[in-house]
Amino acid sequence: MKYKAEVVVTLKDGIRDPQGTAIDTVLKRTSMEEDSEVRVGKYFNLFVNADNDEKANDKLHKICEEVLSNPILESYRIERFEKS
Amino acid sequence: MKAGIIVFPGTNCDIDTKRACEHFGWQAEYLWHDETCLDKYDVIFLPGGFSYGDYIRAGRLAKFSPAVMALNDYIERKNGFVIGICNGFQVLCERKLLPGILSMNDSTKFICDIVPLKVSIDSHPEDICLPVAHAEGRYIASPETLKEIEDNGMVFLRYKDNPNGSVNDIAGLYDRDNRIIGLMPHPERAIFKETGLEDGKYFFKMFENALNN
Repeated sequence: MKYKAEVVVTLKDGIRDPQGTAIDTVLKRTSMEEDSEVRVGKYFNLFVNADNDEKANDKLHKICEEVLSNPILESYRIERFEKS
Repeated sequence: MKAGIIVFPGTNCDIDTKRACEHFGWQAEYLWHDETCLDKYDVIFLPGGFSYGDYIRAGRLAKFSPAVMALNDYIERKNGFVIGICNGFQVLCERKLLPGILSMNDSTKFICDIVPLKVSIDSHPEDICLPVAHAEGRYIASPETLKEIEDNGMVFLRYKDNPNGSVNDIAGLYDRDNRIIGLMPHPERAIFKETGLEDGKYFFKMFENALNN
């Protein structure tokens, strides 16, 4: 069976995010948002093949932990996971 | 002494590394990243540049290449040495062969400069200058890992004027067995008089001593 997943990877709390800070500065400078707090992340849209829901879930978490993120620096969130 | 230099799609310091090795009378060969037979080499270099476009993050995809997957076995069975420079250091950290990780520079800018550094090996600190060229060079580690690194004297290279926000000014470190070496600055670009800087020689000599002992 084919499963569709959407994963968001972000820097962990407490890890400085220079890209987020740069965007923050622009928002403040342009007065679009005086009180902004931006954190930058990455969005992944992927398909996994597996015999059942449990195996698909295990496979997806392995991909997230070993390829899409590094646990020292980042955490991941599965936004959507369903049979395609 | 025979060095193998792993070449990834996007590596661009392989020629500098080979010429630096040959300057010290070492034999040096390029190895495409598909290679898994590393046994005939005394040392493996992961040179600087890029790997797989540095997609997702620098070093993230290269850690799965056959040559990098073969490094654990090479280190354990052959007692081999591995040196990762810049992108190579990022690959070693992603592969967890060295602790911690390299993150985006504090400034968000790609830094291309010559920086002053302090080398500390066998309690003989020396001041040198080496080129740096990186966007993801800010070394970070958890407080526990950092304590372990410092308690075991694993840091051999620190920035004197930290250019990227690295914790404890860390620019280079060994693993606990002194077999895996990673550093962000480029000693291979500071060997020949023509490049205006020869302090990289210090690093290669230091490494030659480590290999011979």
